[in-house]
Amino acid sequence: MPKKIITRRDFLKAAAVTPLAGAIGCCCTGTTAVAPKPVPGSGKGMATIQSISRGSRVVLVRDENAVAADRKLNAEVIQKMLDDAVAALFGEKSPAAAWKKIVKPEDTVGIKTNAWRQLPTGKEVEDAIKRRVLEAGVPAEKVAVADRGVLNNPIFQNATVLINARPARVHYWSGLGSCIKNYIQFVPKPSEYHNDACADLATIWNLPLVKDKTKLNIQVMLTPLFHNIGPSGFNEKYLWPYQGLIVGQDVVAVDTMAYRVIQAKRKQFFNDDQALETSAHHIALADTRHKLGTSDSGKIELIKLGWTDEILI
Amino acid sequence: MGPAQDAVDSLLKSFLPSDVRGWKAETKDAVYDRESIFEYIDGAGEVYRAYNFRRLLSRRFVRDGRPDLVADLFDMGASYDAFGVFSNDLEGEEAGLGQGSTYNGGLLAFWKDRYFVSLSADRETEETKAALFSLGRSIAASIEQEGPKPPLLALLPSEFAEAKAVRYLHNHIILNRHFFVSHDDILGLGRADGAVLSKPGKKGETGVLLLVEYPTAKTASDVYVDFSRVYMPDAKEPGSVQTEDKTWTATALRGKLLAVVFHAPSEAAAKDVLSRIKSGVK
Repeated sequence: MPKKIITRRDFLKAAAVTPLAGAIGCCCTGTTAVAPKPVPGSGKGMATIQSISRGSRVVLVRDENAVAADRKLNAEVIQKMLDDAVAALFGEKSPAAAWKKIVKPEDTVGIKTNAWRQLPTGKEVEDAIKRRVLEAGVPAEKVAVADRGVLNNPIFQNATVLINARPARVHYWSGLGSCIKNYIQFVPKPSEYHNDACADLATIWNLPLVKDKTKLNIQVMLTPLFHNIGPSGFNEKYLWPYQGLIVGQDVVAVDTMAYRVIQAKRKQFFNDDQALETSAHHIALADTRHKLGTSDSGKIELIKLGWTDEILI
Repeated sequence: MGPAQDAVDSLLKSFLPSDVRGWKAETKDAVYDRESIFEYIDGAGEVYRAYNFRRLLSRRFVRDGRPDLVADLFDMGASYDAFGVFSNDLEGEEAGLGQGSTYNGGLLAFWKDRYFVSLSADRETEETKAALFSLGRSIAASIEQEGPKPPLLALLPSEFAEAKAVRYLHNHIILNRHFFVSHDDILGLGRADGAVLSKPGKKGETGVLLLVEYPTAKTASDVYVDFSRVYMPDAKEPGSVQTEDKTWTATALRGKLLAVVFHAPSEAAAKDVLSRIKSGVK
């Protein structure tokens, strides 16, 4: 069967029927998210768990004290955020019990971070992850944190578990700096995965070096970047202190939620439903073409913890 | 590295000063080519590759207690492509450098001749802004020649010729950044010599004009047929269709040139724009 070519007119058609169907060229499938059930007794500000629908579970945790005015990260607060998120993700009372579902003492663990100079993952996040991995019994010599150079790193070459953590930002070529995209360093020639705005990045996740090893994905939403200036540009004006982490085992679901937050922020800032300049369709295709996870908001169980001011989704 | 590349790198280095307003160059510059650029810029390196970039020289300037400055000097091979890269992002105030320039929040960019220059500070302060401008003036003065803009720009009707509205491009992904048409290359930009997109106004309310020049009239004709089939299968008359948002899309083929007006308020308005595209491409 010949491949269906999607054009601008398909998005115009969808928008004509359902005005909130999404911006032209945008990434995600499914718009029929179930409305959240309010939690009795929760007032403005700090809220308890609200759960939407069932399916791939993603936890969004926020704390208004995670980031100081000068962008300095509060390590203690971030540790607690991660702990709360991981516990909720696995339905455990304690983070220690939850981490035992992620790593075992006999594992070799690679923590794939992101070292982009202007907005890195952050040592506080990396340390928070590593601390719990070590406490779960993995020896220090079998844990590594790296971004570039993973192909030459013996820990990553022999890893039995990968933990994937990167900061959320728009990306000039792929639309969104996604957790899916964070694995681009696992291939020797990244340019081979750049076609059509990185449409098939998900295929990296089938490579032997990484396949089925990722036990946790973290979109670091502490100070996401919601707009680009130039291909390699960065402007603090387009960062905002969302002070969140989005955590899950389904990488596509995690990225879908991150995308929704970024898109909501863009709509708020530009006073317009302004699509990402480059479509992040690699996220939807990771689902529909490559079956890596779910991008359908209606099938994602979103658990929200903590601070709810300006939560946007 | 061969002698030819050594010569290119030496020339690029000659454009950069060793110090600026108290900032001093780090001892070693970094040089990147079409493959190694990803080590520096990650996937966004594709933008420069889409414009046939040849070489990048990056120099960092440091000063105690101040944010670093970074100078990225791109050899794009031709002035058309230096202009093209620059036209990708026109946000910011005019900076008065080179043949076109902008400054926005710690990023100063300009193009001159075959070179695109991007100067940034790790953090914007009044001091870093002054230093970036000083650095920019020095580099612009060192590049002696100017280069021509793409000839396609001269064909634009006047209301589409405003500088902030115009992009030059070779690639449908770059096109989609500015005006989404399709995830597939239904306009054959990969086979074209070049294209100009003009979107006046915030959303192109009066229309969005795309001019594409192909190497031969046959290529242009083949693309026209394919585009019409894929994008305008429901056209009541050849070459124009009202789309789902009630605006009009119209096309015209003139030798090697394909012109498409999107988002026009009426069919008459779309055809009027097409009729006013200047001749120049045979």
